[in-house]
Amino acid sequence: MADPTQDSRPGEEEEDEEEVDDSSYKTIKDAVLFAIDVSHTMLQRPPPSDDKKADRDSPTSAALKCAYQLMQQRIISNPNDMMGILLFGTEKTGLKNGDDSFPNCYLLSDLDVPSAQDVKQLRDLVENEDDAAEILKPSDEPVSITTVLFCAIQIFTTNAPNFSSRRLFLVTDNDYPVKVKQDKDTAITRARDLYDLGCTIDLFPISRPEHGFDRSKFYDDLVYPSSPSDPDAPVSMASTTKVSKSGDGITLLQSLLSSINSKATPRRALFSLPFEIGPDLRIGVKGFILIKRQTHVKQCYVWVGGEKVQIVSSTTSHLADDTARVVEKTELRKAYKFGGETITFTPEEFMQIRQCFGEPVIRIIGLKPISSLPIWANVGKATFIYPSESDYIGSTRVFSALQQKLIKSKKMGVAWFIARKNAAPVIAAIIPGVEKYDENGEQTMPPGLWLVPLPFADDIRQAPEQAGDVKTTEKLTDIMRKVIEQLQLPKGVYDPSKYPDPDLQWFYRILQAMALEEEVPEKADDKTIPKYKQIDKRAGEYLEEFGQAFDEELRSQLKLKTKAIALSKKRGAPASSATSESKPSKRIKSEEPANESAGMRDEEMAALNDRGNLSKQPVAALKDYLKAKGQNASGKKIELIEKVQQYLEKKGF
Amino acid sequence: MAQKEATVYILDLGRSMGEKRNGRNKTNLDWAMEYIWDKITTTVATGRKTALMGVVGFRTDETDVKGVIEEDEAEGFENIRVLVSLKQFLMPDIRTLQEQIKPSSTDSGDALSALAIAIQMIDAATTGKAGPLKYDRRIIMVTDGHGTLDVHDAAEISNKIKQDNIEVTVLGVDFDDPEYGFKEEDKDPQKQETEANLKGFTEDCDGRFGTLAEALSQLGIPRMKSTRPVPSYKGTLTLGNAADYDATLTIDVERYPCTSIAKPPNASSFVVRTDLGGGVGASTQSSATVAGGDYGADGQLAAVRNQRVYQVDNLDEPGTKKNVEIDELERGFEYGRTAVHISESDANIVNIETQPSLDLIGFVQEEKFERFLPMEKANYIIPQKANNQAQLALSSFIHALYESECYAVARLVTKENKPPFIVLLVPKIEPDYEALIDVELPFAEDMRRYKFPSLDKRLTISGKVITEHRDLPNEMLVKAMSDYVDAMDLTEFGRDEDGEPTEYMKFEDTYSPLLHRINHIIRWRATNNIYDKLPDPPQILTKYSAPPSDLIAQAQKQLAALKEASDVKKVPPKQKGRGKRTLRDREKPLSGLDVDALLGNPKRVKVDPGNLIPSFKQALAATDDLEAIQTAADDMGKSIRTYISSSVGESGYGRALEAIRVLREEITELEEPEIYNNFIRELKRDILDGKLKGDRREMWWKIRGSKYGLIDQKRSFASEVSEEEAAEFYKTS
Repeated sequence: MADPTQDSRPGEEEEDEEEVDDSSYKTIKDAVLFAIDVSHTMLQRPPPSDDKKADRDSPTSAALKCAYQLMQQRIISNPNDMMGILLFGTEKTGLKNGDDSFPNCYLLSDLDVPSAQDVKQLRDLVENEDDAAEILKPSDEPVSITTVLFCAIQIFTTNAPNFSSRRLFLVTDNDYPVKVKQDKDTAITRARDLYDLGCTIDLFPISRPEHGFDRSKFYDDLVYPSSPSDPDAPVSMASTTKVSKSGDGITLLQSLLSSINSKATPRRALFSLPFEIGPDLRIGVKGFILIKRQTHVKQCYVWVGGEKVQIVSSTTSHLADDTARVVEKTELRKAYKFGGETITFTPEEFMQIRQCFGEPVIRIIGLKPISSLPIWANVGKATFIYPSESDYIGSTRVFSALQQKLIKSKKMGVAWFIARKNAAPVIAAIIPGVEKYDENGEQTMPPGLWLVPLPFADDIRQAPEQAGDVKTTEKLTDIMRKVIEQLQLPKGVYDPSKYPDPDLQWFYRILQAMALEEEVPEKADDKTIPKYKQIDKRAGEYLEEFGQAFDEELRSQLKLKTKAIALSKKRGAPASSATSESKPSKRIKSEEPANESAGMRDEEMAALNDRGNLSKQPVAALKDYLKAKGQNASGKKIELIEKVQQYLEKKGF
Repeated sequence: MAQKEATVYILDLGRSMGEKRNGRNKTNLDWAMEYIWDKITTTVATGRKTALMGVVGFRTDETDVKGVIEEDEAEGFENIRVLVSLKQFLMPDIRTLQEQIKPSSTDSGDALSALAIAIQMIDAATTGKAGPLKYDRRIIMVTDGHGTLDVHDAAEISNKIKQDNIEVTVLGVDFDDPEYGFKEEDKDPQKQETEANLKGFTEDCDGRFGTLAEALSQLGIPRMKSTRPVPSYKGTLTLGNAADYDATLTIDVERYPCTSIAKPPNASSFVVRTDLGGGVGASTQSSATVAGGDYGADGQLAAVRNQRVYQVDNLDEPGTKKNVEIDELERGFEYGRTAVHISESDANIVNIETQPSLDLIGFVQEEKFERFLPMEKANYIIPQKANNQAQLALSSFIHALYESECYAVARLVTKENKPPFIVLLVPKIEPDYEALIDVELPFAEDMRRYKFPSLDKRLTISGKVITEHRDLPNEMLVKAMSDYVDAMDLTEFGRDEDGEPTEYMKFEDTYSPLLHRINHIIRWRATNNIYDKLPDPPQILTKYSAPPSDLIAQAQKQLAALKEASDVKKVPPKQKGRGKRTLRDREKPLSGLDVDALLGNPKRVKVDPGNLIPSFKQALAATDDLEAIQTAADDMGKSIRTYISSSVGESGYGRALEAIRVLREEITELEEPEIYNNFIRELKRDILDGKLKGDRREMWWKIRGSKYGLIDQKRSFASEVSEEEAAEFYKTS
């Protein structure tokens, strides 16, 4: 029988886990149901304005745009997570399975891992007003909020019964959606059912110009301060979520997007550990991954034997090589190869070997100035830690005192860090993270501490050898400094949010187009490509100055060395190539860097190709030729020949 | 690559090596072997075919030089045995050697003659047709110095050693070493003479002479593996676009790794052979080596193959899957739950087209850079080899960055059509060495925008800022923390070779604990078949797992003050967790409203199958009565069975699983594990007996996979189920 461990509930600890990265972190399944209010006020558009920055969206349409963006984003960042969109207050009624027992609740897209069709439907609704008008028709009777909550319970229990994170994103401008107190009471009990079920309500309130949203009138009785799936996550922002409204220079859409983005992925602790500040002084902290390389989905198998293309799931079972008997996971033994044989240990011994360094902990060994953490010593990404009161009362204040002291004295802790049972011990620097806000007062960097893994002696590679001792002069350095000063990024900082991953974006744009059988875009939008025009405008002058000074300096430094070079020539060592591109200078625009001497001319190569004699050429000749043409010159001979042919074809030979 | 090596170990196996000296609890020979085994197994672990080793014993009972010396010349080589000829050592060689390592009953046998044999062995193995090959030649001798030394050929031998460039190391059991600080009292005069002669001889051939204790003390220091630097990028560092603009900067550079995590060796999976009958289980303690496939000799483990089964959802029968053959499969990607088929010829369409480049985007200020942003290991960027222009230009760039206290941000594509990354370029200037260091920076998608409350202030619900709160440190705590942090400074706590203060715990002093632990234990196990327990990790690997005790002692006062000001209290284990047992403790909404009071604090709540989990939780919250708890659990159980038995395919299993999870969790918290254990035992039986309308085994696999089996003593002290029994429960037959 196949081992069904893939069904194991996220968060369950895998005992024999050898991988110590954040694999368990990824498997947290999350289901988000957007519930969007469709009422006359929610559909009201702001008055037209000539101001480019003015609001154009009705609250409902802004919410739908957010949902559209979130859906696309989640396909990239959480490809296994579910999302659904429920409209309430509509004239239309109906869930996807034909159930119409929830009046004025219309399920636009069912709670599921989004399909390409879901994305398209939502996009059409956002972009095509006529389509939208038909669906977004408010009912005359106001919908009962209790019905909406009950409907949500129904959807969550049917579609995502055992997801560890289930969240209802409620977007509304109505801060008192009931008529009599009795209705409020039933809504409160429904909300508690939802909470007991393990679902969270995240409220995204919208204020109208003439009517501020007052949470305390109704919703504070429905929304709970902590999430049942992560009981001691730092108190959720629910109590401080800003009321989205237009004005203040930002649109309703932007402000709603910002609130929703901060909740795009459920916050979930990577670990919960004792933080030992000194012997017998422990506090509790939780670790979070705030920085992680987002990669696109791996290639998978699809089945094309049926009417529609289907995703193939695979299960692995283990067979003994000698008898082809199916083996249970518990029967497997691990062994190391050594001296041509294998060295084995019992599973208990394996545990002992890995766990001989003690229990998981973050233990401060001592403190150093933050300058003892050079950037060259980086080995991996940092983990964010934040205090938790669940194991030690008083953790937060002690943590805060430490963080403030580290900021003030520019110090860092050095710690022994075991992230979980079976994890390899690492030495980490503990550096303070300063809380930062944007101009709207939104937090952009949370306050806390960061664990930066440090290299062991084993992890430091030897510096590559460098021959020669040509060195810069004060004059050259000074000119180059001017270039650097001219080309500062805004505010002199690197802001990741300005640079979407071009590869990831391109990948999903193509995939989306293919999934919807639409035209594939031609060119990627790559924000990482430098702004050449600006560089030229701001620094061109200094670069020219540098070029001239450089030529002079090079000549004078080399004169001193002619003797040495002559000597090396005698020995037959290659002198530095004269066609090297390292010379910053005025440059004639040319399509190919001229380096013809290194290889054959196109005509010669084409002639060889015509006579079918390419394969008789030595690999080196093919490589030289390709390199001279600025082509990739790697691969086996047969591949090189192909590349040469492709190049010649392109050139019209 | 590492140089070829030929090493011969010369072992003193004389009678006196079987004695225990100077209060040690092991024989001289066992003590010496600690050193020899460590050396040998370290070489075996590298798996290098070009690392040859041989072992020669002297003062042995028999004589056998294995033809190294012609028989007619064998006079003077009595009581010397070649134990293992020069070759790549494998496990069988270790075993062969192990069998031969025992003290003899003789004192005769000459150390220098053994040395001559070793020289001969090396000579034979490392000489090619055209003369000596390029080899590191080494002879390591361990002796207790109780034999006699025939010195009349000594000059000739030492000349040969120098001529062949052989490195000789002589280690003695209890030899005197003033530098290391050891002197044997009441030394046997015979030993004194031999020791002196050996020392003189070793010095003559520029070898190393030392006492065994010192050599052993250095074994603990892990050995580093050196890796040849391989460039990950060879190309240009550019500023501006030379194709469109006149003034640009282009420097030929190369990129090499600066840091890279050294990983411990991987263990592969094997399975205990079942066709051996009776041998199973015994294998774990009796033998270190096992065979799998081509490996080894005694054949108790078989290699494991993986078999994959491919399935798709069966659209004709919702909730079920059907198997598909691999040749019906094509490559594709998942876009959400939509399968996108990409034919072989289109495979590249999803990849972004790029050209190799390192292109400067702009500059940032050093002091504003967030040190936690870099994501990956660091690399060196150096000028192209033997290119003066590149060296001069990069030097200017490095110094300009350094002087302006800036870092550069650049876009890096290492190879054609590889995805671009953004890297930070940082100057590194040392006397005689200049380079740029690059580290990868995150993209927008790589940052998770979670928000966390401030640590230096609190907001009330109405938005008022408060600065005094139990979660905020008071003045006393701030002061105590500051004093403690200052007292625990490591900047000058270390001592360098001259005893001068230096930084404690530098990178180069710390060794990867797990890497060396695993290497150490594999080597140890290779030569230890019978044992009670595994040895502890070498002390050097745990040295930095706790603050140095001297420092803690110095900071005692500050620590005490900090503890007092902190006033941290550990939460007793029982109060932890999400469950709030009584109505009073139940989680309240933001407003603090008592929802149960609103409902009139019902004494009894009935479990409602239509609102199963919430009503179950509310039922438990409303009562302390065991009978009521049992009733609620029974109702829950009934619904779980209904979910399973009415499930079309697997459609109801998810809900059943969630209900089981909640039941298990809540019952555990109420410390009534038997209620759950009875339920799950029955459920397992009914599923496997097919009593829930059809074949529901898949449901059992899910329960097992989720580990929702019996609640054992580890999980709940009230349980009567042992951990073994709980593990046993997951087995089906």
